Amino acid sequence: MTRSQYVRANYQVNATPQFHVLSEHQCEDIYYGALEALERTGAEVHSQTALRIFREGGCRVDGNRVRFPARLVERAVRSTPSRVVISDREGHRSMFLEGNNVYYGPGPTNTYTLDPFTGERRRPKKSDTVRAGIVCDALPNIAYAMDNGTPMDVTPTLADVHAFQALVENTVKPIIHWGFGIEQYQDIVDMAAAVTGSLEELQRNPFIILYSESSPPLRHSEEAIDKAIFAAKTDIPVIYTPCTFSGGVAPATMAGSLVISVADFLVGLVAGQLVREGASFIMGGLISTMDMSSSILSYGATELSLLSAGLTDVARYMKIPMFSTGGCTDSKVIDVQMGIEAAFSILIAGLSGANVVHDCNYMEYGATGSLELMVMDDEIIGMVKKILKGIEVDDEHLAVDVIDAVGPGGHFLGEMHTMAHFRDFWAPTLINRLRYDGWKAEGSKTMGQRVREKTQNIINTHEPERLPKDVLHRIQEVVDRAEAREAAKKISK
Amino acid sequence: MPVKSNYVANATPLFSILSPGQCEEILFAAEEVLERTGVTVHDEEARDILKKAGCWLDGIRVRIPSAVVDRALNSVPKRVTLCNSRTGSRDVLLEGNNAYFGTGSDTPFTIDPYTGQRKRSTKQSVSWACKVIDALPNLDFVMSLGIVQDVPLLISDRHQFEAQVLNTGKPIVTTAHDIYGFADIIEMCEIIAGGEEELRRNPFMTLYAEPISPLQHAWEAASKLVLAARKGLPVVYTPCVMAGGTVPATMAGVLTNGLAESLSGLVINQATREGSPFIMGGVFTIMDMSSTIFSYGSPEFNLLMSALADMAHYLKLPMFGTAGCSDACVVDEQAGIEAALSIAMTALSGPNLNHDVGYIEYGSTSSLEYLTINNDVIGMARRLVRGIKVNDETLALDLIDKVGPGGHFLAEDHTMKYFKTETYYPELINRQRYDAWKEDGAKTLFQRANEKVKDIIENYQPEPLPADVQQKIRAVVERAEQKVR
Amino acid sequence: MSNYFEDLAKSVIAGQQERVKELTRQALDAGTDPVEIINQGLIAGMNVVGARFKVGQMFVPEVLMSARAMNGGMDLVKPLLVGQELPSAGKVVLGTVKGDLHDIGKNLVGMMLESAGFTVVNLGVDAGPDKFLQAIKEHKPGVIGMSALLTTTMLSMKDTIEVLKEEGLRNKVKVIVGGAPISQDFAEEIGADGFAPDAASATDLCKKLLA
Repeated sequence: MTRSQYVRANYQVNATPQFHVLSEHQCEDIYYGALEALERTGAEVHSQTALRIFREGGCRVDGNRVRFPARLVERAVRSTPSRVVISDREGHRSMFLEGNNVYYGPGPTNTYTLDPFTGERRRPKKSDTVRAGIVCDALPNIAYAMDNGTPMDVTPTLADVHAFQALVENTVKPIIHWGFGIEQYQDIVDMAAAVTGSLEELQRNPFIILYSESSPPLRHSEEAIDKAIFAAKTDIPVIYTPCTFSGGVAPATMAGSLVISVADFLVGLVAGQLVREGASFIMGGLISTMDMSSSILSYGATELSLLSAGLTDVARYMKIPMFSTGGCTDSKVIDVQMGIEAAFSILIAGLSGANVVHDCNYMEYGATGSLELMVMDDEIIGMVKKILKGIEVDDEHLAVDVIDAVGPGGHFLGEMHTMAHFRDFWAPTLINRLRYDGWKAEGSKTMGQRVREKTQNIINTHEPERLPKDVLHRIQEVVDRAEAREAAKKISK
Repeated sequence: MPVKSNYVANATPLFSILSPGQCEEILFAAEEVLERTGVTVHDEEARDILKKAGCWLDGIRVRIPSAVVDRALNSVPKRVTLCNSRTGSRDVLLEGNNAYFGTGSDTPFTIDPYTGQRKRSTKQSVSWACKVIDALPNLDFVMSLGIVQDVPLLISDRHQFEAQVLNTGKPIVTTAHDIYGFADIIEMCEIIAGGEEELRRNPFMTLYAEPISPLQHAWEAASKLVLAARKGLPVVYTPCVMAGGTVPATMAGVLTNGLAESLSGLVINQATREGSPFIMGGVFTIMDMSSTIFSYGSPEFNLLMSALADMAHYLKLPMFGTAGCSDACVVDEQAGIEAALSIAMTALSGPNLNHDVGYIEYGSTSSLEYLTINNDVIGMARRLVRGIKVNDETLALDLIDKVGPGGHFLAEDHTMKYFKTETYYPELINRQRYDAWKEDGAKTLFQRANEKVKDIIENYQPEPLPADVQQKIRAVVERAEQKVR
Repeated sequence: MSNYFEDLAKSVIAGQQERVKELTRQALDAGTDPVEIINQGLIAGMNVVGARFKVGQMFVPEVLMSARAMNGGMDLVKPLLVGQELPSAGKVVLGTVKGDLHDIGKNLVGMMLESAGFTVVNLGVDAGPDKFLQAIKEHKPGVIGMSALLTTTMLSMKDTIEVLKEEGLRNKVKVIVGGAPISQDFAEEIGADGFAPDAASATDLCKKLLA
């Protein structure tokens, strides 16, 4: 249809689906609630370094209790960059954590791993972290790497350092990584700087994000807050993420849980901004409900999705990049439940527009990391990305002329229009659309079986880009230095 | 407590695919298709009605002026209510963004819950399905989950309806082979309701019919639209369109063509009797260009469903949606993924009468385990849609201050008061700790669902119809059997 | 000359109708045997397309584009085959059975068969036993294919087979059936020779039955 003679005026389109849990006013209420909690109730801080920074910054410090004047917190929020760009290991700027850009990936520190070859649930080893790096590297919809389990066949206090080595050597993708304390953080930053060539280069083009977890309500351990301070001092982006579960460490009401989560994030943020105005912070939020029967923090509950999306609305209101959760499950086994919970949370996290969605590998309420789940999530993310693209409405896509040319009772299979557009359909790789007889002929496999085959295949065949020998050597030196330090500590004890 | 002004709250999450401007564009495009290209109508009576209403006829090809479409859109009721056949309570209010869920209808196959085998559906399998639906709290209405195939096929629709209505009080969306089957089913419903007028006032049944894409109204479909209007009973009219196959490959083109089919059906219905209850349907999806199936699980299917819901709300028409179904040939992870995506998006968009919960194998087979699992997924989605309430009580600043840093909320009255209402507790989804789960047999969700299905079949008793009513219904079925013998 | 054929086959695979026509014209001008052009160029290309479709490397619209390109070449070659039989994998009569207007699947089967070199007579929709009977007498196909979407209309398949028996034609033609409610069991029950779950396997089935 040629209607080029006119342009439609005053025409507003949804370029993508629109989804919001909270209105702007509700976000404001949550934010003010957090400011009120910080000013009135305050937080308990167990770090002398942090207490000194808070005192000097103008907070009211009373023993371990710190109360935060709202103007101070608001200033910190204003000085926080609204965008953080993360590069890959080769310096290509690859994750733009801004606006509603969404990137998915796995999560860290599971105490078990599900072996994709034996099916056994067992303690993770460093070789499992190598596998995690390889699988993250291979999957197109996984944007970054995290470790998929704490390796337990290395010096326990250096599991973080060893895990980072295993990841950085096996994937070019950005790495989000945790550490026990600031000594290990220094090791990790040194290894990353060995890759980029210098600390300055790493600061300009970071390919790592540090990750620190606090334990609500309103309590910050020495390790947690010192890591946030370290990241700000070192000028490396950091995710500060309170682990909030309603009914347990937060009120049973969703709004109250959001208040706790935001307030606890702000404690870390204020410390960081007092150290360096403009330091890159990403608001974390592992937030869900406590199952009142099994007392787990549920990774499959609908409340995880709802709360995370609500928190993302608040982050957008504060103009701070958001670290959210999805692709995870409470299931103990690869089954229908896993598919349901992973898909549900990936969809809602995507619709919410959170910038980083982590835990696309968490099963058994986070206790077990599964590469198979990550591979399955990669497929689900593909579907959800298609949904996030929405529907284009213009003359070419309305296709009124084609409809007329085909007419009632015809078909569109041979039309040039079909040829031009059918590739816009999302193409499945693990989702099966064979007809029953074809599916049977191929062995009547479940998706779980196909996922396992693909996971094994990636581990057996995927070759990630290797680091140069001299860089590998310098990374090993950092690991050796750390081992010597820990050995010395043991002796001195 | 402070008083606020100028405060806007999202009572529920807000979700839309299309803006009102985009909805308008699609409506205009569909009206252009009807005016320019038109539809074929394979029923003489319907053609006469259309002609009288002001349509342009050219043999069986009917072109519909936009004014006639607009008139039908103005006369159609914006809301339809369906009742429980046993209690008469008006349970299903098809209006606004209310989303109700139910099963799908005519699958040739079903999975036997006892043997796990895929077999042809029978009167017994349909009876079992209806019992299970009746027992599940998040299922609001019934479609048969199988074609009854162990009776004379030409009148199998009467048997199918009998099997349904004997085993559930929930509203029934029923198929019929043709208007004669439909007439018998209406007669059964009138017996149960206690008369023609009673059924019309409190319908517990709506008929289902579909055009054939692209742009064809077969005799069966058109005559059903006419009969439903004459009887004043609601009818679901649902185009099943395949992007790239029976409609254009572009999503906006799918919506345009599908909507043109719906609106021409609406015109047949409203031109017969203005004000007849009409529910706009639409199973809009892609043809998988590799296997050529009509996909029930693709992301495009979900997008189109939500977009059509936006259209329905824009047009203020009750809508029949689709969710809880899968292309997987077995109830596996894929079935879980596809159900979660479609049920979540459907619940967020709010089409009113959402069918096909329990379909696997791109709609060829039904599974009672899948249905039962999806009962939980619907619960999850409904919790999501309830959203987050923000007020002084839920913000709980006083409580936060009272508990203080490092404390816990487990023993607080506030927690006791809210933890059940703020949180959804699923029934079959498992949140046990690993060891407890292992001790309980390390069961998968499917295994737990299978146990529940068998338990319902063996132990659940739906409210029966009075014995004399059952007899009268039987007589209608038997009369139909006599005719085909 | 082998390059000609290779180019021709490649252009068929790529669905480039104009290029196929141009190459066919060149080959004819160079005095190439029309049957060779068909077998080594046009059909050879379509054979690759068929194989790629089966393993999911090509999709339906692409297959149809290739078929269209092949037909562009065929149209140029056909008039030159005076006195010679057009190479064909066999003749198939297709129809959607009585009372059923759902024909997208049957049309797809038809197009797939054509792309595999079969000659297809498409009876359209609402085809009862009489229509099939008449078509068999007129076209003498090797195979008739019936499709149905509804359980009520699939009964008409059996009627057609019965009529063929009464007319003494049942042994002269193979009968295949397909459509959503159809299964192998049903095909056997009504005395059909075969059932195909989708368009690609329908092509294989016809090849097998006519081998």
